[in-house]
Amino acid sequence: MKALALALKSRALLWQQQLPAANNHLLVGLTLALVTLPQAVAFSVTLAGVPPHFGIYAAIWGVLFCAALNPSPVFHGGPNTAMSAAIGIILLPTAAPFGAEYMGLALTLGLMTGLIQLMFWMVRPLGRLLDLVSEPVIDGMICGIGLFLIFRSLTTFGGLPVNTEVEWPLWIAWHSFLAILEVGNLYAIQIGLITLATCAVLQQFQRLRHWAILVGIAAGTLYSQYLSATLGLQNTLIEQIGNLSSIRLVSPSVPAFTQDALPDIVTIVPGAVTLALLGLFQTVAAMRRMSRKAGGFTDSRKAIFADAVANCALPFLSSLPTCASFNRMWLVHKLGIHSRITIAASAVLLLLLVLFLADAIAVIPMPAMAAVIMLLGANMLKWEDIRPHLTNRREAIVFIASFLAVIFLDLFSAVLVGSLLAVAYSKWEQAHPNVSLHGNVLKIRGNIYFGSLPVIEAVYHRAVERAENLIIDISECYYIDPEGIRWLAAAKAAHKVGFVDRRSGDDRRLAEAAADRRTGEERRAAAATAPQDRRLPEDRRAVRRRERDRRRRSEF
Amino acid sequence: MAKPAAKLAKIALLLFVLGSFYLVAVHRHAERDAVRSTPVALTPDCVQKLDRYGLAVGRLYESPYAFERTGLHKSLRGYTEEDVRAIQRGCNIVDDTHGRLAQDPYRDRWNAKRFIRGSHATCNNCHQGVGDKQDAAGNRMKGSLHLGASWVMGDMYDRFTGLLLPYELRQMQCYINASNGYKPNIADDVIRDVTAYSRFLSAALDMTIATHYEEQGIDEVTASATHKQGDDYVRGELLYKQKCMHCHGPQAIGLEADGRVVAPALAGPNAWNMQSRNNFYFVSTVLAGFICRNMPKGQENTLDNQECRDIAYYISNLPRPAGDRQGPVVALQQQLLMRALPPLLRLTESSPSKSAAPAAETRAQPVLGHAE
Repeated sequence: MKALALALKSRALLWQQQLPAANNHLLVGLTLALVTLPQAVAFSVTLAGVPPHFGIYAAIWGVLFCAALNPSPVFHGGPNTAMSAAIGIILLPTAAPFGAEYMGLALTLGLMTGLIQLMFWMVRPLGRLLDLVSEPVIDGMICGIGLFLIFRSLTTFGGLPVNTEVEWPLWIAWHSFLAILEVGNLYAIQIGLITLATCAVLQQFQRLRHWAILVGIAAGTLYSQYLSATLGLQNTLIEQIGNLSSIRLVSPSVPAFTQDALPDIVTIVPGAVTLALLGLFQTVAAMRRMSRKAGGFTDSRKAIFADAVANCALPFLSSLPTCASFNRMWLVHKLGIHSRITIAASAVLLLLLVLFLADAIAVIPMPAMAAVIMLLGANMLKWEDIRPHLTNRREAIVFIASFLAVIFLDLFSAVLVGSLLAVAYSKWEQAHPNVSLHGNVLKIRGNIYFGSLPVIEAVYHRAVERAENLIIDISECYYIDPEGIRWLAAAKAAHKVGFVDRRSGDDRRLAEAAADRRTGEERRAAAATAPQDRRLPEDRRAVRRRERDRRRRSEF
Repeated sequence: MAKPAAKLAKIALLLFVLGSFYLVAVHRHAERDAVRSTPVALTPDCVQKLDRYGLAVGRLYESPYAFERTGLHKSLRGYTEEDVRAIQRGCNIVDDTHGRLAQDPYRDRWNAKRFIRGSHATCNNCHQGVGDKQDAAGNRMKGSLHLGASWVMGDMYDRFTGLLLPYELRQMQCYINASNGYKPNIADDVIRDVTAYSRFLSAALDMTIATHYEEQGIDEVTASATHKQGDDYVRGELLYKQKCMHCHGPQAIGLEADGRVVAPALAGPNAWNMQSRNNFYFVSTVLAGFICRNMPKGQENTLDNQECRDIAYYISNLPRPAGDRQGPVVALQQQLLMRALPPLLRLTESSPSKSAAPAAETRAQPVLGHAE
């Protein structure tokens, strides 16, 4: 009896310990599901020009596939703003939105995207190219996306019809803001403000943080139901999520690959390449950034593989393509739970919600959803993440450039502009080694390669004119390309300089291995330097003295 | 103790910001409502037009114009006070979009100039006769961009994209491209009132819904309706100098006097943008048709089709703002062309070599065109 009681007690204790954790997982999953839902509906209908179930299936199956295949615990896939907008832009010239032909082509586009992404996984250097997106670029993009989400949600927040999708958001934001103040639906604004205030206030308390968004949506929905009950929906004119009852567990589909569609398919191939890159860039960038924030690491090749396989499968499930979502991953991080199970749970919960609670979801007001998306956007603008990039001038320029590029161009150009600037800066850095002349020792710190040679030569020739018995110290050179080796050999052959290389064993062996690849003549020319190359680290002055002695001897 | 206080202050600030946003919104809504219910001060042309068509509050509306033409009494549903004010404001917006004739541009036309960049574009530039152009005998004219005829065609399928375009969205295209401006929200009174006015015009002129009238749109001039000499830039330039330059100026940037626009800009920062259908490269028949029917002022219908197309071709080659969707690079390029070229050209034209060799002028102008 006693043992049983003890066992029960310990079991109860165990439950008590596990319960909050399990609770939290479920709660975060539910929050994620509810946040993904309006985005899925909005992205598919307003951006991609396909029915809402495309986005919802992407939010279910896309997230599940990624959670299964991608080992990163911070990764959240599903429908994506930039990809959805790109689909709309790519397909608009070929077919009429919402038509059967258009949907078939959208699925074909998704499949081609998946296949191209698979190629990025198979060809390793292509995948590595994606890693060139640096941290300030990603943070600039995150801030830009945050602002963009706030701007984009303004009209829905004010209960106004959405004005436009693909124009410069800043102009529209200002006019949308004025329009809300002057002609917005006041009931919609009330619902939006109640949701926003509830979420924002609850977020301030550590304990209630996880509940903030759910309670906010609940408060907005309750108020909207109250308004509908007292005034009638025909008077308040509040837009609601609406009927989702057509959604089933699985809805199989086949991409259009008929003879008739072939010319159209050929014309959208460049679009598929853009879409594949757009997805992979976001996936790799977002995953690296959020992994680093969570203190972990996941190989980007695995993420590429997960995305590629998911995108090859999704067109057969009537779904939009998937890639990482900055704003939802940010939410996962903010809620403080890093687990693939939670993320998979969010997809399953969303499926259960749309299958069994379609009626309850149907009355959620859109202004409340817009308020939540605005809050997500505001949470992405964090001074703690921006400040480190502003201390270094170069990083600040890269950061601001990619931020402005999101606002004024689009996501893809932001990646290109930011990455090109970042790569240009790092190349510039490498092309300017630190070359200093002390006495007759010319010390080179950095690379000796085709880009940096002119800089070194300029100092070298001035030094040769001034100092006799010049010695080039290459101890702190970590990379010398064949052109650099040829130049060093030529300098040696002209009998004007000596060399010092005080690198430790491994580095030197590497340098020697490199030297062995030289032509016979070069090897002969460089042979003279060999004794010095093998010299062990020692006092620079002693080296100089010995060098001078050797030179004098050779003069006689 | 300091931490909870800071948190409290943060929450209070947040609630204050959200609350004041709501209060401002309520205030602005009340302001709008007040304006909606105040009487409208009409422009002279609108007074004339609306009087002629007998706009008044009443249970039934009978059009004097239709009676005059057909001799039949035909009663339509009448207008409330609110309807009448909306129609009046719509007329004001079409006639004087910038509010130059108004005491208070906000009250009488919802500050419509907020959606226009530049100072020349008004609806009346293209939709002449306050959207209802008539000849001396009072007959409506073919291809005169008649707003009433446009409204009865309601929601059209766009000829070029095949998308359904509601009347309100068609107005937005005017704001974006023809006036190179911003898109008003579809729920804005600016759009609603112009729709009300257009609808009133169609009732006043006894037009039937879903009927295509030849007053609608432009009397387009296709290449096959010309002498088949091709569209020629040089001929266009010569014709422009003979027929148009007097009012629109040598660089087609329009003419302003005493704060009034005498002739609107055809190029430069105040003109329509590169995505407007006035552009020859976009739709070659529209601007030519407009010129044939409406220009030069006082000598309409004197130019033949070939001449209209040549002039339209020349005008379309002058620098103008880029469209929104063309992105910042094209926008920057066009701004450079517009800002940097006119002073350079003025310099060339005023240089002493010009009087010696008249060819200098003709050499300078093509530069303007080729640059695009």
